[in-house]
Amino acid sequence: MIGNTPFVVCMVLVLLGLWALLFRRNLIKVVIGIKIVENGVNLYLVATGYVRGGIVPIYTYAPPDAAMVLPTPQALTLTSIVIGLATTALMLAFVVVIHRHKKTLDGRKVTELSG
Amino acid sequence: MTLLTGHGFWNPLLWLAAAAGVTLLALVVWSRGRRDYTRGTDRELPFLSGEKMEGAHVGGGHLYWGFVEGLRPYVERLRALHSGLVNDYVGWLVVILAVAFLIVLVGG
Amino acid sequence: MNLAAHAPILAVAVPLLGAFALPLWAKLRPSLRDLWLVLVAGATAALTVLVAVQVYTVGIQVYTLGGAWPLDTLAPGGFPIRIVLAVDALSAFMGLITALVAVVGFAYAWRYLVEDEGKTLALTLGTLLWAGMLGMAFTGDLFNLFVFFEVTSIAACGLVGYRTWASRGPEAAFKTMVMYTVGGLFVLLAIALLYGEYGALNLAYLARQITGSVVDRIALALLLGGLLMKAGAVPLHMWAPDAYGEAPAQAVILLVANTQISLYALFRVLFTLYGGVADPAIGWLVVALGTLTLLVAALMAVVQMDLGRLVAFGAVSQIGYMLLGVGVGLTAIAARPAYGLVAIQGGIFHMLNDAVAIGLLFLAVGAVEKAAGNRNLANLGGLGHDLTWTTGFFLLGSLALAGIPPLNGFASKLMIYQSSFLLSPILSALAILASILLLAVFVKAFQGAFLGPKLSQPKPVPVPMLVAMGVLALGVLALGLFPELVVRHLVAPAADALWTGRDLYLRAVLGR
Repeated sequence: MIGNTPFVVCMVLVLLGLWALLFRRNLIKVVIGIKIVENGVNLYLVATGYVRGGIVPIYTYAPPDAAMVLPTPQALTLTSIVIGLATTALMLAFVVVIHRHKKTLDGRKVTELSG
Repeated sequence: MTLLTGHGFWNPLLWLAAAAGVTLLALVVWSRGRRDYTRGTDRELPFLSGEKMEGAHVGGGHLYWGFVEGLRPYVERLRALHSGLVNDYVGWLVVILAVAFLIVLVGG
Repeated sequence: MNLAAHAPILAVAVPLLGAFALPLWAKLRPSLRDLWLVLVAGATAALTVLVAVQVYTVGIQVYTLGGAWPLDTLAPGGFPIRIVLAVDALSAFMGLITALVAVVGFAYAWRYLVEDEGKTLALTLGTLLWAGMLGMAFTGDLFNLFVFFEVTSIAACGLVGYRTWASRGPEAAFKTMVMYTVGGLFVLLAIALLYGEYGALNLAYLARQITGSVVDRIALALLLGGLLMKAGAVPLHMWAPDAYGEAPAQAVILLVANTQISLYALFRVLFTLYGGVADPAIGWLVVALGTLTLLVAALMAVVQMDLGRLVAFGAVSQIGYMLLGVGVGLTAIAARPAYGLVAIQGGIFHMLNDAVAIGLLFLAVGAVEKAAGNRNLANLGGLGHDLTWTTGFFLLGSLALAGIPPLNGFASKLMIYQSSFLLSPILSALAILASILLLAVFVKAFQGAFLGPKLSQPKPVPVPMLVAMGVLALGVLALGLFPELVVRHLVAPAADALWTGRDLYLRAVLGR
């Protein structure tokens, strides 16, 4: 049971982020919500690769019979973080441009495209 | 050349031949029409609901007016859903995810 | 180097690297950039065609990155840890669609985009989007599916919103980006769940191992949510009309191809990954969403006054036909393989028809916007007096999209109507109703914009734009007049790859 705590925490993070996405009208907070979801997912990825008592998966420094944590999820997480950086930067750039045009960050007022 | 579509078939060249036949028939009927029709008079003007103004144009918003008005009550509800609020967009994603979860966990 | 063996990875790598070199050439001279783009686009299209020819004549192409030999998919011990590209007939078919759309789009963009309004940016992002789409079509493992999913997301949103001097583009791009990112994160979560359970990311390996446990089912729901969102199925389509309406025309047809690639990914997940534990309830969900998509989008198109947004809703509605066709196939194929196969063929054939017809319409709308200066149907009128070719192309595209024989939309729609009739006559009735609504919408738009007395003097449409539209118009006619040839040689193998080809796919990647 206690071993599942990281997964529970990840799901809580995802739900928190979704809550922000659903009920926060400020566009910056929407982006923050996405980041929280993303961190939950990334944490989940890393947690799947954890081996109890495992060491860093670098062959050169490893003692002969050591258990290593799985390197693949870490590589995936790293990739996912980089992608997240790009998407966040792009979204924030769009928010800046929207603010420049509309002088507001309230999502309810950024509805030029509707219907 | 014939595409089988389950119950039936579809052959565009056959269709074209049929269409040519129908066109020919229409031309025959047309050629037997009235001879006393004169070009260049008022008879050639399009009839735009009695609109006499030169260059009157039925704009895109007016064609099929009754058709659109008939549908409008339904469409207005759909339009209200396209609120342009990004939170609503994500909300629909959550709704669909909930439905999918319901189907995979309970329904299947 | 054996070009044919390395063609799958080169088809992804060439546009990816070529795209990033474009701005550098543009710094030197715009004409060098255009020359480079012609080279890159030509090479990519040629490589895609080469891959497709290989796939259609020889069989599934598998390429392993980091292996000593391209065919060495398994590490010693038989566990798939390597990154694999696996191209079967459906992937190759999707690759051909993207190549057609991208080449036509770039030819159109040559004179459509204005040099000091971010032309270099648009071309770079367009090439990147193309690379991402090819990657999504060719990849053989789930994580790279996610990576290319995000590559297409970022490139697509950049294309929607790069014109920052207007307020509508960035707004549409922001909303689209939020949706894409959230959808992408759910896809990633699903991939993490599958990895946690089976310890692998290779699609074929997972497909063989999958047991249909609760975790698998949760992952399927998450994948469905994310990929349906990217494909623009109602009610997850809200971003699509915004994005299609605000992106420049040559980018919109790439965005349309992008939604189709997402549909491809969805079908790949449903048939190849989960084909062994298929659940008819999922098929019904896809059918229901498809029907909802084609009806709601067609109804929404009725009241639109902006020509771009009107056509955009038409494009969303076409996604519904593809979902309906393949959903019917998913539901019926186990019980009645013959009808299920026709349904899947109809759905896949409609992807090609839609790419050509809706592409033609969007390009014509772009030409109208450039010539008349606005897209509002209330102000347009009488463009047919001067823009003769554009008028013809718009009419041809709209008739094809509404499914008027003998144009191309009719053949695939007929296949979808007839096979969905088997599942329930109501489905066919609703699908036909949506087609009728679309016909009314397009007749209305055509009459409003092109017919009537001349209101103002439009600028002439540049010849390269007309040529690009002409290529697609020829495609509409050719696909319409010879549907049987296309179905037999291109579509039927692609449809077979989804159902009977599953074992071949697994064997090609796993070697046994």
